[in-house]
Amino acid sequence: MNDTPIIEIQDLHRRYGKQDAVNGLSLRVQPGRCYGFFGRNGAGKTTTIKCLLNLLRPTSGIVRVFGLDPQRDEVAVKSRIAYVPDSVAFYPWMTVRDTLDYLASFRANWNRDIEVDLLRRFGLKEDQKAASMSKGQKTQLALIGAICPEPELLLLDEPTSGLDPIVRREFIETVIGAYQSGDPGSRTVFISTHLISEFEGLIDEFTIIEEGRELLTMEADAARERFKKIRARFAQPPARFDLPGALSVKQSGRELEILANGTSEEIISRLKTLQPEDLQSESLSLEEIFVASKTLIAARA
Amino acid sequence: MLFHIDFKTGKSPYLQLVDQVRYAAASGGLRTGEPLPSVRQLAEELRVNRNTIAKAYAELESQGVIETVAGKGCFIRDGNTPFTKSVRQRLLVKEVDEAVVTAHHLQVERADFLALVKERLDYFEHKASKEKS
Repeated sequence: MNDTPIIEIQDLHRRYGKQDAVNGLSLRVQPGRCYGFFGRNGAGKTTTIKCLLNLLRPTSGIVRVFGLDPQRDEVAVKSRIAYVPDSVAFYPWMTVRDTLDYLASFRANWNRDIEVDLLRRFGLKEDQKAASMSKGQKTQLALIGAICPEPELLLLDEPTSGLDPIVRREFIETVIGAYQSGDPGSRTVFISTHLISEFEGLIDEFTIIEEGRELLTMEADAARERFKKIRARFAQPPARFDLPGALSVKQSGRELEILANGTSEEIISRLKTLQPEDLQSESLSLEEIFVASKTLIAARA
Repeated sequence: MLFHIDFKTGKSPYLQLVDQVRYAAASGGLRTGEPLPSVRQLAEELRVNRNTIAKAYAELESQGVIETVAGKGCFIRDGNTPFTKSVRQRLLVKEVDEAVVTAHHLQVERADFLALVKERLDYFEHKASKEKS
């Protein structure tokens, strides 16, 4: 059973009229992973997540969650998932207490200790009405509602966009602390976001989606190992250089900045033969990889 | 003990943590018997995946740097490693080689290199003994 991926998507298409929002996407999320789903606005992230939740039906392709079809086994799938969308709405007349009781009424399991802990951590008052809550507070309430049932899969769709930096930080710490505190094999996180840098440490593996298709899927550590930025400064502007596997080379006078795709060691030893005054290399962050991903793919093709 | 993860170095976050604990244990920043933070605590603090911390602690344990006491957490072990002397030396050769190669590129002379190694050994011994007193 452990080999069953938590999420499996094969050649998913979802069309709105003539527009292909998702256009042949495939990906697979193994249990216990924290999986990043990166893409620009309109790349197809939310449409994909809605297909996982049976809020939308695929035009074609296969979607499986826990090995089940979200359309046919909707209750079985949803009872093991929690979902935090980018903008959350609650019944405005309900208090925090009412809202949590209402959410708990749909769940077989509700961890009261986590609820008490998180309400205190976020400083939410139980008698406050949803109508008077800020966007940050509503997201915090949604997060409590998502974590207390201790779901096997936590789906987060742009969860931190529009929040202030302190609320964002707390949000991520809560996902790490409260959610991941259970058995790690049954705590899978799927985060769609374009605010990548704040999730950098959390992501094990990611897919970059572009115009409804997968552009790049990698382990985060492997990606940082493979994509490097190398800076070199020379006494004289180098006349000619041939750098194997360089994705891009920027030159400004005596300085070079090179993006390397898996060949940073060769490039560095090549540069050393040109006797640089200064030579440095660093990994691209996941965000830089995302921004550069079009170049990366152009070079791969 | 404060830890720090830098995603730009190209070294896996878990290995950075392993290095930092080993460095602290060698230089007296962490003493024998001192506890490490819990996996959850450190993960939240560094805002990294818990798997990263768990992997680092497992690696440190297999290297004999720390020990896990069930229900209590992880603690720095005494300096005795479980490896034989020849294995320990072999493990070190790679890192020494790297330093030698870098010294060559930086045109650091043999005598200066050896002097530097002595100086660093003294530094760590001094730091460790100062922490103890």
